[in-house]
Amino acid sequence: MIKCKDVPEQASDYLDGELTFRKRIALRFHLLICHSCRTYVQQIRNTIKTVKVLQPKEKNALDTCPLIKKFRELTKKQD
Amino acid sequence: MKSNVKELDEQTLIAALIDGNEQAFELIVSNYHNLMLAVSRAIVGEAFADEVVQDAWMSAIKALPKFEGRSSLKTWLLHIVSNGAKSRVRRENRMVSLDDGWQSVSSDKFDNTGHRLEELLPWEEATPEALLANEQLQAAIEATYQKLPALQRAALTMYDMEGLSMEDVCNILDISASNARVLLHRARTSLHQCIDTFQDK
Repeated sequence: MIKCKDVPEQASDYLDGELTFRKRIALRFHLLICHSCRTYVQQIRNTIKTVKVLQPKEKNALDTCPLIKKFRELTKKQD
Repeated sequence: MKSNVKELDEQTLIAALIDGNEQAFELIVSNYHNLMLAVSRAIVGEAFADEVVQDAWMSAIKALPKFEGRSSLKTWLLHIVSNGAKSRVRRENRMVSLDDGWQSVSSDKFDNTGHRLEELLPWEEATPEALLANEQLQAAIEATYQKLPALQRAALTMYDMEGLSMEDVCNILDISASNARVLLHRARTSLHQCIDTFQDK
């Protein structure tokens, strides 16, 4: 039997359809009877969607001016 | 043509790039630079990441006439940066370390038999739109994202944010599918904890 404690470990794979058949059935059964774990899985799903919409950025992404300068030089040579 | 450079399809965009159109270059840099940096940091680490991405851009520009469109431009660019990063670390003995100080959901939330001690309450603002209407929360998510270990961040960015296939993610980062799944699980759990803490306030 699955316990609430096992759910966080499996939620991510479950949402991506990556759990084995046996594990998936066991988890689904637990979700049927456990309100908290249903909420947990739903929250993970919302977390994924939220990050997808938010599109957080890398820290100090670099200054692109030198890149554009190099691009200019590079494409001039090709002409 | 200059004004609607944003609406160009990939083929036209590539033609413009080969032609030396700077607007087109600025467009793809703004679209993909962040993503390439995430991949580079995951493979070579912070110190050489910027340099590797710069070199990757230059290789990409040189190789563009040979781009055959068998993958999307995005995936192609990521493979270039991944190859550059891998050759940079080839001499070192790099191992994927999953031991990055990650903490799973704290066990004090469960009793001895593994059941939750307290009922988990749904988030009040449950939809992504509602969550994102909260500026402080947005900043918190962004900060959590930036603090994720580089490999976790790269896996999450490619798979969850950019919709790359698991196969591409594994090839680009040079890791096994099971490692990639662990990285995704950890990254998502950290972000979930961030949002959840916010809901408590």
